Amino acid sequence: MNAPRPYNLVAELTYRCPLRCAYCSNPVAFRDFPDALDTQAWCRVFREAAALGVVHVGLTGGEPSARADLPELVRGAAEAGLYTHLVTAGTTLSAQGLAGLRAAGLRSVQLSVQDAEAAPSDAVAGVPAFERKLAFAAWVREQGLPLTLNVVLHRRNLGRVREIIALARTLDADRLELANTQYHGWALVNRDALLPSREQLDEAALAVAAARREAARPEILCVLPDYFAKRPKPCMGGWGRRTLVVAPDGRVLPCHAAASIPGLEFGNVRSQSLAQCWSDAPGMNAFRGDAWMPEPCRSCPERTGDFGGCRCQAFQLTGDAAATDPACELSPRHDLVQKARRDAENCERPLVLRGGIEAEPRGGSTRTDA
Amino acid sequence: MSASPSAFEARLRRIGEERYHHRHPFNLRMHAGTLTREEIQTWVRNRYYYQTRIPIKDGLILAKAADPAFRRGWVRRIRDHDGDEKGSGGLELWLSLADAVGLDRGEVERLENVLPGVRATCDDYVRFVESHDLLESVASSLTELFAGDIMQTRIDAFERHYPWVDTAGLRYFQSRTQQAPRDAAEGLRYVLEHSRTAQDQDRCAAALERKCEILWRLLDAIEAAHAHPRLSPHAQLRHEAGEVLVVLPERAVKPSASGCEILDLCDGERSAVEIAEELRRRHPEVSGLVNDVHEFLASMRKLGVLGPAASPR
Repeated sequence: MNAPRPYNLVAELTYRCPLRCAYCSNPVAFRDFPDALDTQAWCRVFREAAALGVVHVGLTGGEPSARADLPELVRGAAEAGLYTHLVTAGTTLSAQGLAGLRAAGLRSVQLSVQDAEAAPSDAVAGVPAFERKLAFAAWVREQGLPLTLNVVLHRRNLGRVREIIALARTLDADRLELANTQYHGWALVNRDALLPSREQLDEAALAVAAARREAARPEILCVLPDYFAKRPKPCMGGWGRRTLVVAPDGRVLPCHAAASIPGLEFGNVRSQSLAQCWSDAPGMNAFRGDAWMPEPCRSCPERTGDFGGCRCQAFQLTGDAAATDPACELSPRHDLVQKARRDAENCERPLVLRGGIEAEPRGGSTRTDA
Repeated sequence: MSASPSAFEARLRRIGEERYHHRHPFNLRMHAGTLTREEIQTWVRNRYYYQTRIPIKDGLILAKAADPAFRRGWVRRIRDHDGDEKGSGGLELWLSLADAVGLDRGEVERLENVLPGVRATCDDYVRFVESHDLLESVASSLTELFAGDIMQTRIDAFERHYPWVDTAGLRYFQSRTQQAPRDAAEGLRYVLEHSRTAQDQDRCAAALERKCEILWRLLDAIEAAHAHPRLSPHAQLRHEAGEVLVVLPERAVKPSASGCEILDLCDGERSAVEIAEELRRRHPEVSGLVNDVHEFLASMRKLGVLGPAASPR
């Protein structure tokens, strides 16, 4: 198959992370994936990505700064001609460390913040991190780097969207990404405790609309989560179409969760070129284009816009990765999404933090769960 | 439960306090005397489009009203704007203002050079009234509650800061200092009387907010026309096989060839109006080009391709 030009490389440098967010999309078995690519291997990936037409690289993880060679990786990506973007929790880098990354060619930063206040933020992160994040945000702006604040939304923080927007303004963020929890990895484990109610979403949408009227900054990116929308999201802009993900073990995936679908065979940059992994791997080609689509997608005029939705979600909910995303109202299994919404109502289950630690349902303390 | 009429009125007034365009940076600069002659002219030319939509909007409101007493009162607004004969009324007074600021009144009257953003937001207002009921339509007109004050501020500012504007041109503002409070009182009475439920009150508040937003966007569009756009410092231009890709944080934009020609002129020196003028000079055969340029610049601002504009000179 003729592979399209990828524009974006997601470089998952490591799954190590000091945070234990209960909605982490890393694999539940993240400990089974050691960092398999050394500095040189990553730099080769960056060069090969640029040659394929990639313009953006997001250095992410896990926490990318858990790697001691991050400055060299930033330099390698920038020298390859990629617009180099750091996705970080902001708790481990110093001001000096950040200045070093900027000098190495870093162009922009996305900082995760869990909530508008310290207590609930630290509760969902599983460690005290909030104050350090605020300090980090200030360093980003001092360095003149554009700042995106990313806040993953769920039942426990949706009521504070107004305050989250105010925080983004205080921190002088250029963009605020209000990202609805994607139910992969640990988030799927916690789905019943994270899914919001329709009322919460409506309230949040009003708060966003009001904030957009008030000021142009920050730009607020926010869409209705697909468990509540009529149509699925154009996941990753289409499978193997715009974005490639290189996981810590060297596997090349169409999205960070694709390895959760069993039976798909992906390439690995440890033994193959990035170009081979992108264009030839059977897993990468499995859902490219629309030949794989079942009805109602196959004859749906919207298939070129939403690409049939999310393959990982289709697999998780129906057991068939080639099924129409059940988030779509037209899916014969839309009942599964409706049931998940019903199950989540009134669920007071505690969150299971990444790594298997149970958090208190409310408040800030955590305890280990055997 | 619905709020008492006085609490509801206070709520409506608070909306004006917070959202009426008396707080818009363009108005603040107008009243502080720092607008250029070109900016004043752009405002007069474009605001005329808004003036022309008002009688149309009031006609739509009349068509919703079954009560003769209401219509008798409201029809006065159309007369105020259109006059009882040619050469009288608020629209005519606005054209005198156009004369006074050195515009060609024929050009203004033909609505040829109305900015697309201004046209869109004014049309949005007419559509709003078209598609909402009488109560919400009347509520949307309540920005008049705040208009009386701004008119006096404006007269003072023009007399003090813009002596090159013939004071004969200010008669529109003078007439509105009388008309706006009277119209507003009438509208307010209607809204207070007919908002029986909390839902009615919410609908009216939302209508007034929407109207404030419409006025605000009108000035945004005028302000943008005089901004001096330049590429965002975070943008990286990549030239690939005859195409240009603008790479930004977490976004890439591929402008068309004509888009690239416009972006090339975004040097922080030229204003949006000057850029549009330059393109019209280069491509006299293309119709609607000026509109296209302003729309393109607005979309590029929104995407972050154009950075924080250099402050207007």
